[in-house]
Amino acid sequence: MTRPVSWPRVVLTVLGAILILFIIGPLLRLLLQATPGGLGRALGDRELQQSILLTVFTATVATLLGALFGVPLAWMLARARFRGSRFVQGLVDLPVVIPHPVAGIALLLFLGRRSAIGGTLADLGLEVVNHVPGIIAGMLFVSVPLLVSGAREAFAQVDPKLERVARTLGDTGWQAFRRVTLPLAGRGILAGAILAWARSVSEFGAIVILTYNPKVASILIFDRFTAFGLSSAIPAAIILLLIALLVFGLIRLLEPARAR
Amino acid sequence: MIRLDGVTVQAGDFLLEDISFMVPPGGYAMILGPTGAGKTTLLEAIAGNGRLVRGRVELHDEDVTDTAPERRGIGFVYQHYHLFPHLSVRDNIAYGLRRLPPGERQDRVRELADMLGIVPLLDRAPSGLSGGEQQRTALARALAPRPRILLLDEPFAAVDPATRRGLRGDLRELHEREGITTLQVTHDFEDALRMGDHVAILAEGRIVQQGRPEDVFHYPGSAFVARFVGAGNVLAGEVIPEGPSDRDGRFAGRFRSGPLAFDVVTERSGPVHAIVRPEDIVVSRRAHEGSARNRIQGRVVRLERAGPVTQVFVDVGRPLVASITTASAEEMALAAGDDVALTFKAMAVHLV
Repeated sequence: MTRPVSWPRVVLTVLGAILILFIIGPLLRLLLQATPGGLGRALGDRELQQSILLTVFTATVATLLGALFGVPLAWMLARARFRGSRFVQGLVDLPVVIPHPVAGIALLLFLGRRSAIGGTLADLGLEVVNHVPGIIAGMLFVSVPLLVSGAREAFAQVDPKLERVARTLGDTGWQAFRRVTLPLAGRGILAGAILAWARSVSEFGAIVILTYNPKVASILIFDRFTAFGLSSAIPAAIILLLIALLVFGLIRLLEPARAR
Repeated sequence: MIRLDGVTVQAGDFLLEDISFMVPPGGYAMILGPTGAGKTTLLEAIAGNGRLVRGRVELHDEDVTDTAPERRGIGFVYQHYHLFPHLSVRDNIAYGLRRLPPGERQDRVRELADMLGIVPLLDRAPSGLSGGEQQRTALARALAPRPRILLLDEPFAAVDPATRRGLRGDLRELHEREGITTLQVTHDFEDALRMGDHVAILAEGRIVQQGRPEDVFHYPGSAFVARFVGAGNVLAGEVIPEGPSDRDGRFAGRFRSGPLAFDVVTERSGPVHAIVRPEDIVVSRRAHEGSARNRIQGRVVRLERAGPVTQVFVDVGRPLVASITTASAEEMALAAGDDVALTFKAMAVHLV
């Protein structure tokens, strides 16, 4: 006996398949563009090397800064039911909905030499706009919501009763946090941080307005594309894609263990 | 010793109000109440989790109302154990022992694991343990730092009956050996009868009655308590065996409580509590023949009518209560002062 064809199921499957193709098609197409010689030349390209080093460095600094300020906030958002905590949560998520060039312009006005903060920082010898700190500021702005949400989720997964048990066993609040909460939330926080790092590496819109030079990888690709055309942008694009895939794999490694 | 004086706690919308009671040093007390009565909130207040609106908490003659949880010398076993999932059974038990030198720490872990029969589990992760094994681990972890006070939140709720019996015995033995002042929360009145020397009934955030367990069960101060403890007739006394045991260890015996004595079938002898459900007692004007072993004469003290059911309170040298239909109470024209016979089967007596 043959089962009747379930048409809704067929429609759903076809729709899903088209979308999946739309995602992996272009990426595969780009990867197929890679030739050993081309990749070798790209890896030997001094400007590209420096650009990737700069990107990795700035993204790492932005992620560490985000963790320094964001992890304590995430803990408060997960634990303390303080007045306005939902509002604060909304503020943290705000950068997600702001177009990145808009974020860049807002940061430029806020941190530029003519602003109070930018001026003071410049007097102290810290130039932000058109310098490396500008890159970090742009990355931090767009990536920190991912880090805070990830960490908040991870903290929320830890039963507060575990902390209370630790307290009755002689731990101070901080010791309970360090010996119980942090080890249990660690994977989730790390996953959030990696996501934020990947977001920083891929940022273009905010950085292009804040600091065009020195060029991070995404800007270098754009620059080569506009100045020399598609074929000169491809090797750098492939290398950035490979970095992204590596990060993607790392997150996937962390996630199933977290779900268990 | 635990002494609560007018303790009031606000937990969200829930209010735990004006709780006062005392557990003497080395005592074993029970908080008994239905789900949502505030039992866990009360334990948390004693442990120092959450602030009191009013009132005082004293532990061993020391006012700890404003003392941090870690300085109260309390062991707390939660209902769902809350073992640290990232640590082995061994490290869970050793958690509160980090101030000890490593050698002594290992000795103490070993000692507790021996006592609770969990030595083979020491290197396992908590996730693979059965409910009873988790419970024993949680108990060992709480006892390891030698707390002065042990708080147990529904310790038997999540284990099967066989494990429960074993744990009850272990807990009693531990309590006697270590002499820790213990406060246990339960919704099971049998636990309270077996284990506690003091019981407080909690309902909707207030203590509605407290005292010796058999007194509370015997003289419920309100309809709520009577309904909640649900037993009707609880008598403290002892069993004297009168016949040989069968394969399961059961024997016919005689239960005595003061002037009252009746036949029982049980596997226990010595001091026990006998429970007879009011609906298992037949009330009649004259003792009639039948298979029921126990026929007791008494005098009706009062009648309480609740729709189709009437409770007949009878003095038989001890107060007993029987539930009969209102129709049959009317047929017999029962009134206070009447002499009646109470009849119930030996098998209907439940001994705990």
